[in-house]
Amino acid sequence: MSAAPFPNTARVDAFDKVRGAARYGADRSPPGMLHAALATATIGKGRIESIDTSAARAVPGVRLVLTHEDLASEIKPAGYLMAGGYASNGLQPMIAPEIAWRGQPIAIVVADTLPAAIEAAALVRASFAVEPIAVELSAEGTQTVVQSESQLPKPMYEDIVAGDADKAFAEAAVQVDAVFTTPAQHQNPIELVGTVAEWKDGTLIIHEGTQNAEAMRHGLARQLGLTPEQVQIVSPYCGGGFGQKNSLQIYTPLAAVAARRVDRPVKLVVPRAAVFHNSSFRPASRHRFRLGADKSGKLIAAIHETDSQSSRHDLFPTLYAETTGHMYAIDNFRGRERLVRTDTQAPGYMRAPFEHVAAFTMESCIDEMAYALGKDPVALRLANDAYADPISKKPFSSRHLAECLTRGAAMFGWDKRQMAPGSMRAPDGTQIGWGVAAGSYKAATAPAIARLTLTDQGRAIINVGVHEMGQGIRTALSNVVAAKLGIAPELVEAEIGVTGASPQHLTAGSWGTATAVPAASEAADAMLKALAELGQSDAAGRKPAELLKAAGRPSLSVEIRRKAPGHPDQIFGRLASGLPSAMGPAYPEYVSFSYIAHFVEVRIEPGTRRIRVPRVVSVVDCGRVVSPRTATSQVQGGVVWGIGAALREASEVDPRFGGFLNADIAEYVVPVNADIGSIEVGFIDKPDPRLNEVGVKGLGEVVMVGVAPAIANAIFHATGKRLRDLPIRIEHVLDKGDL
Amino acid sequence: MQPFSYSRARTAAEAVEAIAAGGQGTRFLAGGTTLYDLMKLNVEAPRRVVDVSGLDELADFDTSGESELVFGALAKMSDVASDERLIRDYPALSESLWKAASQQLRNMASLGGNLLQRTRCAYFRFGEPFQCNKRKPGSGCAAIGGIDRGHALLGGSEHCIATYPGDWAVALAAFDAVVDVLGPKGRRSIPLQELHREPGDSPDIETTLAPDELILRIRVPATDAGRASTYHKIRDRESYAFALASAAVAVAFEDGAVSEARIAIGGLATRPWRAFEAERSLIGKPLTEEAAKAAGARALEGAKPGHHNAFRIELGARTVADALMIAKARA
Repeated sequence: MSAAPFPNTARVDAFDKVRGAARYGADRSPPGMLHAALATATIGKGRIESIDTSAARAVPGVRLVLTHEDLASEIKPAGYLMAGGYASNGLQPMIAPEIAWRGQPIAIVVADTLPAAIEAAALVRASFAVEPIAVELSAEGTQTVVQSESQLPKPMYEDIVAGDADKAFAEAAVQVDAVFTTPAQHQNPIELVGTVAEWKDGTLIIHEGTQNAEAMRHGLARQLGLTPEQVQIVSPYCGGGFGQKNSLQIYTPLAAVAARRVDRPVKLVVPRAAVFHNSSFRPASRHRFRLGADKSGKLIAAIHETDSQSSRHDLFPTLYAETTGHMYAIDNFRGRERLVRTDTQAPGYMRAPFEHVAAFTMESCIDEMAYALGKDPVALRLANDAYADPISKKPFSSRHLAECLTRGAAMFGWDKRQMAPGSMRAPDGTQIGWGVAAGSYKAATAPAIARLTLTDQGRAIINVGVHEMGQGIRTALSNVVAAKLGIAPELVEAEIGVTGASPQHLTAGSWGTATAVPAASEAADAMLKALAELGQSDAAGRKPAELLKAAGRPSLSVEIRRKAPGHPDQIFGRLASGLPSAMGPAYPEYVSFSYIAHFVEVRIEPGTRRIRVPRVVSVVDCGRVVSPRTATSQVQGGVVWGIGAALREASEVDPRFGGFLNADIAEYVVPVNADIGSIEVGFIDKPDPRLNEVGVKGLGEVVMVGVAPAIANAIFHATGKRLRDLPIRIEHVLDKGDL
Repeated sequence: MQPFSYSRARTAAEAVEAIAAGGQGTRFLAGGTTLYDLMKLNVEAPRRVVDVSGLDELADFDTSGESELVFGALAKMSDVASDERLIRDYPALSESLWKAASQQLRNMASLGGNLLQRTRCAYFRFGEPFQCNKRKPGSGCAAIGGIDRGHALLGGSEHCIATYPGDWAVALAAFDAVVDVLGPKGRRSIPLQELHREPGDSPDIETTLAPDELILRIRVPATDAGRASTYHKIRDRESYAFALASAAVAVAFEDGAVSEARIAIGGLATRPWRAFEAERSLIGKPLTEEAAKAAGARALEGAKPGHHNAFRIELGARTVADALMIAKARA
């Protein structure tokens, strides 16, 4: 266990990134490379009756046009990530004439130049047999699946229940009962989905930014009839994932087959509008949340019922109640999750996929309850803090939510808040609102194999399963290995995101650091032991490289395997086959979550009612902070995401057409710099030694959990309006109400 | 994107000759920020492109004139936005440029090209399967009955409700700007307020410019009301977004009463929209908050809401009212 906090070292790859020296997937241009473009379906659902590629083929420079008529026997489905497979969609486009969503690819064109490929793709003509669509949660023709009664694996997708929530709620002296909606949203990392596919001596090499190189490898092998050894994925950097790149994309096999056909490398960079329609997104959802308390303010019952958008072909299972059921000391809880099949590509995991939405519902209700009881919202949360998991009754591995709340309140100046809505105003009539909300996110762990090599030149190379996607894992790995070996962080190099050595398990769910860093730390311990075994009598105080030299060894390698507490040994087989293998929040002896408290000030101008967020204070319990610099950046980025989710972002859907309307980043409005004020970050930085010896939990997702309700609660404080539909925009506060 | 031939004009006269010779499907290229965007979307598919970006004769601007300000059509948005005299004497004009697009786009985009920026209507931009009379005359209008939160409340027709997206033209409309153009038959001047057409039954024809006419410059008559002016833009985020509602406003006072008022609104109509009635309502009276609110309401008179955009009538009125009070504070 690391006794001391880690120093605030710079990001090890910052210099490379700002110079453009860090090479991302689509930066590669192997000699002889050709360019690909996609033609996509213009109908929302149906079947291709005929497809005419003659005009496309006639474009000068076009080498190849492939449609479903060519690929039926060449590509097999890879299976859906959440159904034992590897892909973002179980339905692989272009191997059958069926169209399941608008924007689905119907042809891939390969040409000498990108303009020729784009021109030709636009000339592909298809005629369709059209079927009616249902794309909104409330639309006629959707199909609702009760998750607990579905084929989804149990107990994972059993409803979470403790006590008798309905009875306790009915008897509660104070009740809150509210309905919430949240829209579809898209991740929109700056790096588009893009792949460079290249065949060398029967081996397929894919350069593509991903969070899950191992799934890509095994999925492509399955799709193309190869062994996993015949597929290599190269993804040393991913230009933002946020869940969008957590699995094999539907485009990658198309580029791979095209490259095989033309016997040249092929680059396919998917335009933003096509990414909107074929990669994952946060599903639209609807919630009813009921919260009951006794007169003293003790929360006694919560009922969380959800409807979440899914696709026709794949069921995207949900875990909204995993957040709300474990959050406070509420003895009676009932979750009920339903999935609504609509005509769309499969939705998926977008940063804090369930937790952000679940926290919006629960933390809004907690605030409403505080007002119903006449209690301060921070005090109400502290009074209902949990000392053991209310569902399983197991202890928490660590929980410092109360400290997040109290420290955050002090940093924010919460004691100056006047409780009454509308009671705080600027001289010009601007309404000021202060809001608070808490968040949690499971502290999960995946198995990992770590190989550490030390050279007599002093370099250390750590090879472990994790992906660098902007979160700064290279810096965290360097910090930990360097501290253990007593060398400078810049001497540590991380070999990650590339298949062939350590399995490159999915990096998601905030388990990347808690998986890779303890494994790297154990590998460093093994290295220290191996160095000691070299038998140098005066080892103490000497640098590892000196010990190697003295022993006449040019290099030394060690390997360790690490799994989560409670993982069976078979988990390494699953890990090797590229399947998701993480465990948590429930472990045999305890339950683990990271926690956060957000304090937000909103200002709503009197005339045109623009909602601004001039300052946020966020205090996090993520266990030990391994890389303070990148961790602070994660929190700030997560808060920006929360502001976007609360006030800006919605993927617009026209029910007549399906698909998404505002499919570019000019019209899908993420926050800009001018939207963001001060974001002050605090860390509890107390290690969680029960979870792993470094004491890290997770950070990347908990950071946005609770931002949206803190903003909604601040808007209530400013205006007296309870707003329960995201995003909250000018039109929702234009009417000033009675204040 | 289809192949196109490219030529570079050395003079304005040569550019006009080239476009006349090119016939249908020929487009001028200036900053390229709209044309390239729409070419990549296959909404614009020119056969010939005449590059006018090198016409130095159109690149200058002069804000020092006693009687008028003169802006060459190829002056860059960013250069004009940061002109110190404009910031001091006509803040509305400067702000309308600052609050448009992003710095990168403003560095590329020309003033003349910006006037002709085409609508952001998604049904227009994204092609099939959407009906759009502007993109494909006679195909219908998918925006009517669709997601119309950003669509026009004023000046629409049963064939098109696409919002005019620009900011600069709205500010120019408030100041009675004139546009000088050159065509095969020679030069003429068009009042800015007559440059953009309402869609009527031919939404594909967006301006009164002939296809072979080139904008040479924009002239703005000097006015003392320029100092007490603002371009107030309300949008879904604080930068790099199109207006939900905007107002270009200028006022002058004599003895505490409004002697001159100029109001144009943007983001709400199918063209830059001058609100003459609202202006008249202010003349001869002190500019109070109540008067500003009444003028705002009057500016939106006749607005026709669709399914999702009714809130922008009230928002537009308040935008005008706030703009008037900002302008007053500068008097």
